[in-house]
Amino acid sequence: MTADSSRPSPKPTTKAPPKWLEPLVLLLPAGVWLLLLLVIPTLLIFELSLVPAIRPGQVVNPSGLENYFRLLQPDYLPVLGRSLFFSLSTTILTLLLGFPVAYWIALKIPKQWQNLVLLSFVLPLWTSSLLRSYAWITILRPTGVMNTALNLLKLPSLDILNREPAVLIGMTYSLLPYMVLILYAALEKLDRRLLEAAADLGATPSQAFWQITVPQSFTGIAAGALLVFITGMGDFVNPELLGGASSMTVARLIYNQFLGVTQNWGFGSALSMLLTLVVSIAIALLLKYGDRNAASGV
Amino acid sequence: MTPSSQNFRSAQFRLPSWMAWFTLLMFGFMYLPIAVLAFYSFNDSRYSTGWKGFTWKWYESFLNDSRILTALANSILVAGFAVAIAAVVGTLMAVGLARYRFPGKQVYQSIAYLPLIIPDISMAVATLVFLAAVAIPFSGGLIQLGLGTIIAAHVVFCLSYIAIVVSTRINALNPHLEEAALDLGATPVQAFIQVLLPELMPAIVSGCLLAFVLSLDDFLISSFTTGGGVKTLPIEIFGRIRTGVKPDINALSVILITATGFLFAVAEYLRYRTEQKRFKD
Amino acid sequence: MPPRRSALTARSRRRFLQTSAAIAAGLASHGCGWTLAEVRPASAKGDKDKLSIYTWESYIDPALIDTFHTHTAVDVTYDIYDSNETMLATLRSGKGTNYSVIYPTDYAIADMIERKEVITLDKSRINGLENLMPQFQDSPFDPNNAHSVPVSWGTTGLIYNANEIKTEITDWSDLWALKSQLTRRMTLLADVREVMGATLKSLGYSYNSTNPAEIQQAYTKLTELKPAIATFTTDAWQNQLIAGDYLLCMAYSMDAVTAIQENPDLNLRYVIPKSGTSLWSDAMVIPVTAPNPDVAYEWINYMLQPAIAVDITKRLFFATPNQAAYDQLPNPVRNNQNLFPPEATLKPCERIITLPPQVSEIYDRYWTRLTSK
Repeated sequence: MTADSSRPSPKPTTKAPPKWLEPLVLLLPAGVWLLLLLVIPTLLIFELSLVPAIRPGQVVNPSGLENYFRLLQPDYLPVLGRSLFFSLSTTILTLLLGFPVAYWIALKIPKQWQNLVLLSFVLPLWTSSLLRSYAWITILRPTGVMNTALNLLKLPSLDILNREPAVLIGMTYSLLPYMVLILYAALEKLDRRLLEAAADLGATPSQAFWQITVPQSFTGIAAGALLVFITGMGDFVNPELLGGASSMTVARLIYNQFLGVTQNWGFGSALSMLLTLVVSIAIALLLKYGDRNAASGV
Repeated sequence: MTPSSQNFRSAQFRLPSWMAWFTLLMFGFMYLPIAVLAFYSFNDSRYSTGWKGFTWKWYESFLNDSRILTALANSILVAGFAVAIAAVVGTLMAVGLARYRFPGKQVYQSIAYLPLIIPDISMAVATLVFLAAVAIPFSGGLIQLGLGTIIAAHVVFCLSYIAIVVSTRINALNPHLEEAALDLGATPVQAFIQVLLPELMPAIVSGCLLAFVLSLDDFLISSFTTGGGVKTLPIEIFGRIRTGVKPDINALSVILITATGFLFAVAEYLRYRTEQKRFKD
Repeated sequence: MPPRRSALTARSRRRFLQTSAAIAAGLASHGCGWTLAEVRPASAKGDKDKLSIYTWESYIDPALIDTFHTHTAVDVTYDIYDSNETMLATLRSGKGTNYSVIYPTDYAIADMIERKEVITLDKSRINGLENLMPQFQDSPFDPNNAHSVPVSWGTTGLIYNANEIKTEITDWSDLWALKSQLTRRMTLLADVREVMGATLKSLGYSYNSTNPAEIQQAYTKLTELKPAIATFTTDAWQNQLIAGDYLLCMAYSMDAVTAIQENPDLNLRYVIPKSGTSLWSDAMVIPVTAPNPDVAYEWINYMLQPAIAVDITKRLFFATPNQAAYDQLPNPVRNNQNLFPPEATLKPCERIITLPPQVSEIYDRYWTRLTSK
């Protein structure tokens, strides 16, 4: 683009700012903030995780990997297993429940209503998630809403609260809106002409679904699954409020080491690092598998 | 309308409308807890499951409950400040990352988007340890755990969310707009403010909304970084659930969802109006 | 929502991990000797007419705050904790610098005194200490009450719904005996010393055992009971016991008495186990980080007034150590055996004492293992 020749090109001001000023102004504030409140804290946690048992007020002397070995003992592996179980189950449940909803909103209703319906579906997100989990206590209690309704229908009561099924219900409920949002974003971009073409070529709706819809929206499915899995692994509120005495998860265990009855910041730090590790593995797996899927010509 | 597309349309309808029913069921599932909370907010009984009469007393109790109101105010304050700071810092960062290449850029980028990925509790724990070990001792006790530390911790994840929403938008922009502005004699600052910013505004706003909701709802990071008796709403609610709940919490939830529903309706209406206006232009 | 993974390629993550591993190794090897979260004395005085209290749920209510406000024009705010360990955790991680009055239990006070976390009280500023019962004038945990003023005492026991549980409950061992009937209808306190102590007692050992073998036995016995426990909670059992969700809860005496008094139509009973339980007393202390020690003294003096103590005991149902107040209590409250148990019942009870750190750690480890199952 050349400037109009009749106008003199603007003279550079004599005090032109140095070239590195602009990127610095743009990137420094965030960089400093992240350094102070993310990078350094993570390194401190790593250091603390090497101290066997430390509470505030004690001197820090990293001495070894004892905390990590403690994690591998048979008493604590089930905790990790339970967290994984909750996260994976919630991921599957939200996928199964959320996909039809997202599909219906994205592909079955007219464009001008989609936003409204979608946002109405996720509106409960704006009430505190703690309040909604508390509501589930009221519903799932032995004398709660659910059992009252069941008894009215002459059905036996279900003992769900303070056990794993309650946690699953709570977690699925909390994470379903996020899954629907992500799936919707992916399904909205679906090229309907592909579906039309498939119908023209004689595909059944089921074939069209599995061979076109799912692969096309795969990035959305993967992103949603990853989000739900990660959030599930770190979920504290649902297992704490709905899980009772026998549903210890990694997040609750970490909380107890810092703000709860046992005060072991070293063990808690090691657990925190473990959690981050598990999440990183999940991401790495997904990147690998996702790349392969993308490469296979979707 | 060719016969085949007619086929498809009927194929679409033949695709069982179970999806519509299923979605309705899921809507029911989503709103069931809200309905239960609403039901008990009007129920004149502290413990019983059954209906014992209509009453407004839980709403009165809630409005007189200074602890919850303070907690609510704190939550809004924290979210407001955190999002405001994060909007500025995060947008600048997103623009910087989109424009420049520099050694260590990938490391910077990874760190910048890390809060989206690591679980809340890991961030909460790390921040507490940092504050307890470094910030408070080094500042000679000037920095204390409290509202300020909560805001500082919230900025970290708000910044990542806003940055990623903005960066998606930047990638879709016409890269020559700013160049053109500079050619026409604008200073870089002017080009930024008058050309780039308006283009990015929708993304910034939606990023801010997302960050605001996440900050309001955050429990773990707030509990770990709070101190001095400062409580945000989730912390206060959690404390009450642990020590025995009075039904005025139900009143709070009804008020919250009505308020947000109302705000959301207003926002949608405004958006609809601006879209209509744009149509007319 | 845009896919986030696009921001992280495998290579960039590897580089990040390498860099941070290097830094971390450097940090770790550089060593330390830095202290984690030292709590420093108050640097600034707080507002003269604001007081922040950190206490148990049963010791305070809005009515008390209102009367104090009318009396002194001071605004009181309070926060609740449900176990001494949580309170100590909060204070020691630097989160409790705004509290001027705290209500620890006796053994926690000993710990705090040792760590110099509470101030020595200026007795000349306190009036009403002579009102305390003789046994509370001195304390094995705080000689001469140099740092604390007792405000309540009680026992830990079991409260149960006598309509649903027909057998009479008398001892800790009944928990194990009725395990199958009580599956998921039973709660225990969220307190490591209380729960482990109760189990040790049921095995015939001391509440404060330091013998690792005994502690392990207690842990094993608890793991038998664990599947029947709905949840560990110190305060949240009340609503659900009243609603009928829970049938038997381990509770502090004052909470139990409150539940019984407020629900006379339910047949709730509180029992102090025969083999003995923990006898505790809570006291008011002023932490060294208190921003308002002057107002704290006012609060302590207020609590020591017999009229106020009577009022609180009648409303909040905790046993007062104030002799003058006790004499003024109406008969039903005074004769309430759950609040003021007779000597015979109290004989086998023990006070929880602070344990040396190595033993504490054993308890903590078993507790973490127990709650992780």
